[in-house]
Amino acid sequence: MKVGIAGVGFMGTTHAAGWAATGADLVGLCAETTDEAAGMAQTYRTQVYADYAALLDDVDVIDICTPTHLHYEMVLQAAAAGKHIICEKPLARTVAQAQEMIRACRTAGVKLFVAHVVRFFPEYALAKAQIDQGKIGKPGVVRLTRASYRPKKPSGNWFLDFEKSGGMMLDLMIHDFDYARWISGEVESVFAKNVTSAQPEAVTEYGIAILNHTSGALSHVVGGWAYPPPTFRTAFEIAGDRGLIEWSSDSTAPINLLLRKDSADAPDVGLPGSPVAESPYTMQIKEFYEALINDRTARVSATDGLASVQIALAAIESAQTGKPIALTPLAEVIQ
Amino acid sequence: MKIGIMSFAHHHAEAYIDNVRNVPGVELLGLADEDAARGQHFAQTFHTPYFDSYEALLNARPDAMLVCSENSKHRPLVEMAAAAKVHVLCEKPLATSPADAQAMVEACRQAGVKLMTAFPMRFSTPLLEVKARLDAGDLGQVYCFNATNQGEAPLHLRPWFVDKELAGGGALTDHIVHLADVMRWYLGSEVTDVYAQSNRILYANEIADERVETGGLVMLTFANGVFASIDCSWNKPNYYPTWGGLTFELVTERGAVLVDGFKQNLTVYSHDVRRPLWAYWGSNINQAMIDDFVAAIREERAPRVTGEDGLRAVEIVAAAYESTRTGQPVRVART
Repeated sequence: MKVGIAGVGFMGTTHAAGWAATGADLVGLCAETTDEAAGMAQTYRTQVYADYAALLDDVDVIDICTPTHLHYEMVLQAAAAGKHIICEKPLARTVAQAQEMIRACRTAGVKLFVAHVVRFFPEYALAKAQIDQGKIGKPGVVRLTRASYRPKKPSGNWFLDFEKSGGMMLDLMIHDFDYARWISGEVESVFAKNVTSAQPEAVTEYGIAILNHTSGALSHVVGGWAYPPPTFRTAFEIAGDRGLIEWSSDSTAPINLLLRKDSADAPDVGLPGSPVAESPYTMQIKEFYEALINDRTARVSATDGLASVQIALAAIESAQTGKPIALTPLAEVIQ
Repeated sequence: MKIGIMSFAHHHAEAYIDNVRNVPGVELLGLADEDAARGQHFAQTFHTPYFDSYEALLNARPDAMLVCSENSKHRPLVEMAAAAKVHVLCEKPLATSPADAQAMVEACRQAGVKLMTAFPMRFSTPLLEVKARLDAGDLGQVYCFNATNQGEAPLHLRPWFVDKELAGGGALTDHIVHLADVMRWYLGSEVTDVYAQSNRILYANEIADERVETGGLVMLTFANGVFASIDCSWNKPNYYPTWGGLTFELVTERGAVLVDGFKQNLTVYSHDVRRPLWAYWGSNINQAMIDDFVAAIREERAPRVTGEDGLRAVEIVAAAYESTRTGQPVRVART
């Protein structure tokens, strides 16, 4: 199986490491400029393509790790070329785009996977398994928290461009919107607030969303670009009618470095993670790879990708309007 | 100074009785309870006189009373004390409706007696430390709170807590008021709008009264633009290491402050119980509250938390219930 990666930022690099752990052949990369891709091409002994269409010509599967606003065009182009697709989250910048992307892939007979990597993080996957085994009964109130610092990419910081990224609520909170749905099922309505709606001059962002699930469960989802670098805190608390699961990155960090630093440097974008034998990003790529070669589904579908975009955009609309937003039932959205 | 206790319906009376005895120059007059068996039991347990009626206790000429009845019975007892020109410290929530709370405030004002609401978090040393830093400008402008006041459902402590008629409601009644009061105190700003969702999945099989909610998520908006979520759920199982807790993340222009009001614990593993228990070693907030109540009477000043503060919190709870009925944010009605 021949794979190409579009985009060589954080996610492109991370996915490349994942593909290297599979039987797939990473035949090429493309980026905005060929210079950007050179280092990564050398590491993975692969080609740099100047042109996305040319890369598509040479692959069976394209892995799209570009900024959010580019996903739509690139997925449509790949589907038209008859290539299977792995697309970074969020699937799209709008629900209408996501609908069209899913339709195009269905029509073209190609698979579309969305990289909601949180489902592959061992603590999140284990909590889901524990719930599925009935350990805590029916989830009633779920708290999901994910907060870091403002992305500080030196140039072309698309994360901070709302038109391109959808801001923190679409880019970061979408992880937990997806997880909330995985745990508690479909979402009926969303009410949310965020700092940049309340204080437009604020340079940091923090959002809180209350999700009302069809099952009767409630979810409290928090996201933030609010802390000083390199802080990245994640946590969940899942209360059921027969028990409670608690987890936080703070309280389960197996290593605390108390070392003097020469500089207070931090990555451009914060990434969560505890040291584990296999990176969740690699585990995710492997699962997509297995699904592709065996014609199976993965634990996260394109529909899941659309549903989380729908929730995130409703949260943004709620924060902007001050009103709760009722969601169109997913069955109608994906028709 | 002589202090009596009206009703031992609320288990906090068991702590307050020691707090009263610890204040130099204060005499514990005794207690009265409309449930004679309960009153006699606690009078015996704490070696204090039992009075056959509230009138009999008032005839013994106390200077002040602690009202620790069921929530819905606060009003008649406070009015009775006020009519006898006796100062009152009333358990929270001050009342089960804004009209009752308003009547209590008015009765005490007209009688010229002090009315304090039992909001002991105002006396928490960690919370006071953060308040001092906030007032000193160390934290910068406040953007939002992400707060929890969760606990086990108090049905094993006293069954009336889960009886709508006596308690006024469930988790929303029990656990919104402390944080709403802390936030008003921190910000010096009033709540204008409340959105709330509630459910009864947790403890559903153990709580018969179907009008009593056990899960709740609330979003407050303040006049100064700050927003705040409160998770007031009874989400801890009754074998949790402690009763519950109160936490908040205070997000500001400079980052965030994480506050846990009950973090000052030992974790104790004992052969006697065979599960970890948290033993609290932080400063005694109830003692500090009772000390202030006595000092306010002696110094003829307002207590650090008043009947009006209790009333404002009750108005917020009423708006939260209305929001759960309408599904919309509700403007707080000032009585």
